[in-house]
Order: sequence, then C-alpha cells, then structure tokens
Amino acid sequence: MMPFEIAEPRSLREAIGLLGRDDPSVRPIAGGTALMLMMKAGVFRPTRLVSLRSIEPAFARTTLGAEGELRIGALASLSSLEHSQAVLNGAPVIAKALRTLSNVRVRNVATVGGHLAHADPHMDLPPVLIALGARVSVLGPSCDRLIPVENLFAGYYETVLARDELIAELIVPPQGGRRAAYLKCTTRSADDWPALGVAVALDTDGTAVHEARIVISAATHKPTRPVAAEAILRDGISDAVLRRAGAAAAEEAGVISDTHGSAAYKRQLVRVYVERAVRAALAIPTGKQRRA
Amino acid sequence: MVPTAAQQTIRFTLNGKPVEARILPHHNLVEMLQDFGLFGARESCGQGLCGCCTVLVNGNAVSGCLYLAAFIDGADVVTVEHLASAGTLSPVQEAFLETGAFQCGFCTPGFVLMVHQLLDRNPEPTEEDIRHYLSGNLCRCASYREIIQAVRSAAEKRKSCATG
Repeated sequence: MMPFEIAEPRSLREAIGLLGRDDPSVRPIAGGTALMLMMKAGVFRPTRLVSLRSIEPAFARTTLGAEGELRIGALASLSSLEHSQAVLNGAPVIAKALRTLSNVRVRNVATVGGHLAHADPHMDLPPVLIALGARVSVLGPSCDRLIPVENLFAGYYETVLARDELIAELIVPPQGGRRAAYLKCTTRSADDWPALGVAVALDTDGTAVHEARIVISAATHKPTRPVAAEAILRDGISDAVLRRAGAAAAEEAGVISDTHGSAAYKRQLVRVYVERAVRAALAIPTGKQRRA
Repeated sequence: MVPTAAQQTIRFTLNGKPVEARILPHHNLVEMLQDFGLFGARESCGQGLCGCCTVLVNGNAVSGCLYLAAFIDGADVVTVEHLASAGTLSPVQEAFLETGAFQCGFCTPGFVLMVHQLLDRNPEPTEEDIRHYLSGNLCRCASYREIIQAVRSAAEKRKSCATG
C-alpha cells in the first residue's frame, strides 16, 4: 500500500473537523476491513486517514428502548450486533443476517457505520435495514440530519453523504409484530459475496397484508425496492400472488450482469428468491424447503 | 505527490509481554509481527477470506492482513506462537497432530487459533457449529474432514482437562 498519515481524533466532532469537504484523499476509517481491500488494490490512495477508533465509546453502544426502538452506535462491531440481546429482541432478522455476513474475523472488526458508508451494493445489512424502515443520524460541520437508509445510497459505492459528514447512529423503529426475512444467493461458494440479496418485511393479519416492503440488493447498482411487487403482495398471500410478486420484482428491479452472473440469470434468481423470502418471513413451508 | 509517512511508536502486549514497535501507518499487523520474528500469521489471500493471517486482538480473532498495525497501540495481541510457549502443546494443537488435520500446514496456525476461539465460546460445538465458525478458513489441501475431527477431539480433551 502507498504511505499515508493517520489522525486519531478523540471525538466525533473533532473527526468531522479533520475530514474537510474538498480533499478526496482524506477519508474516515473505522474497522477498515473494506477500506484495506481498496487500498491494497490501489483503488483508493489516501494521503490521510481519520481514524474513528478513539472517539467517544457511546458511539459503539446498542440499546433497545421501552417502545422497541433499537439505537445502534455507528462504531458497534458487526459481531457485537450478532450477539446483542437488544438486537435479538428488537430485530432478530438483523442478527440472523449477520451470521452469514463475511466471516467471524471480519465481523469482529467491521463496524455498522462503515458497512453502511462503504455503499458496496453486495453488503447484507442495507436491504435488511431498508425493509425495517431504519434511519441513520448523520453529523456534519454545520447541521445534523436524519436520513432513511433507503435514501442513503446514491449508486454503486456512493452515498448521499458529504465528505465531512459521518454516520453517528443507526435507528431501527419498533417492529411490533412485523415479520421479516433476508435471503441471499451466492453463486461461487457459500461464503462468497452474494449474487442477490432479498429482504422482506410484512405487516400481516392472517393472509391479509397491510404493508409490504421488498428490497433487492447485490444484483442491482444499489438496494432497490420493487414497488409493483410490493403492491401485489397487498392483495393477500396465496401461491398465485407470490408467483406474480416474484415475476413483477424480476421485471422492475433493474438487475445488472457481473462476475456473479448474467442479468438474465439474476432475474430468474429474483423471481425465485422474492417468493422464498416472503415464505420465510411468514414461515410458510414449500416442498423444496426443509425448514421455513 | 506521495506523502512521506512518519514512523510512529506503538506500545502493546505481545504474547503476554509488554513491547514497543516502530511502525509506518500503512503497515499491517502481519508485516509488523514479522519484525518480531513471528511468522505463524502469514498473509495468503490478502483479503480476509482464507484465515491464514489470524491473530487474536483483545481476545477476538482478526485478519492480520486487513488490520493496520497502528490500530494495535494499547492492545493485547496473541499469536499462534503463544499457545505452546509453556513448552507443551495446547489440546487443540495436540488434536490437530493426532488427527493429521493438515497436509502442507500453511493454513494450520489460522485454523488452530480459530478453533481456540470457537471452543472458548462454545465448548461443545455441533458439526454445523464447527463448519459455520470455520467457514472463513480455507485449507487448499482440503483436510476439512480431519480438521472437523480434530475440533471434536480437542473439545473432548479440553473437557477432560477441565473435569480432571
């Protein structure tokens, strides 16, 4: 890797001051697992990294409010969330998705804030968090703002954040009786980056569906909601509705070809996985599934 | 312009002893350990996928190839060399030897450290638990069957150490 400097601010505000708005070679680093790959590949050549590892420990804390709202500090490691009782109680689908996110060592080091800010479309939590209606609180030099995770991603490895804005906290609203699931398909080996990720969250009453969110990731430039497929699910759950929703999602998701598979192949994956994800969320078994 | 990186001094605990190191900010943990003559953690894939560079930092397994040396300042670092520092092999190391859970041995230090972590957290893992926990460690000689047997055997050994 090319030489660079590391700054070690003691507070998030100080870190924001050190980032500046204009120099793309100055970037924040938290766990660094993703940034290290980019630096080793020479894709990113920083002059200076602003380490977030010595900022206030409160930004690594996870709490579950009395109403069921989950607040997760941006510096919380992915493994701390995987084993957090607050996460298991507030949004168990997050803990479940983390089990197959990369491997133990990466989860021990990578942070949730870095996971989101990196904006790699193959990451597992963005679709899950969008399905759950999560928001991030973002601090900047002049103003702070709340951004729905759904609006955080501008494109392939791009967020709407300015260079001197930092994610401080992730807020997952109370989930009540909402049913959620995340499924991914890896095409080369089980621990590969996904060719497709599908998250669903459903507010249901029997077979009636009041609210349905479907999020497609990895096969697209950024996590995408197929809204026509969501609308179809509100017709109520049946085999025919699930088939129509899968077909609609495949049609509208805008999947792209890459090393994980052709667009045609991934459209077929979307068709199949949207149906499977809804069945998994509602624990409806299929003949092919050993367990829902 | 290429910035000139300044050396910095970091202090940490390495295999139980307080140490000091002069490092460059862009060096990773594996490179730094080599300056201490420790070659058990080795960079193989360089992407955190294979587990050959496993090191324990503050009690947690990390990929040394994706970890900046600068981040070790103040930490407690344990490498595979520490496991037999008292002159006897750990139950996990013994189990790997007895089971023949390797061929070339390049991946073995990483597997051994990960199995220590697994058994510390889950003393009686199922085969599913073992496969899941070790899914981020690759053995290109494909000794996986023997490695899983070694984990089972190590779990038994540790149990009898604890009760006996």
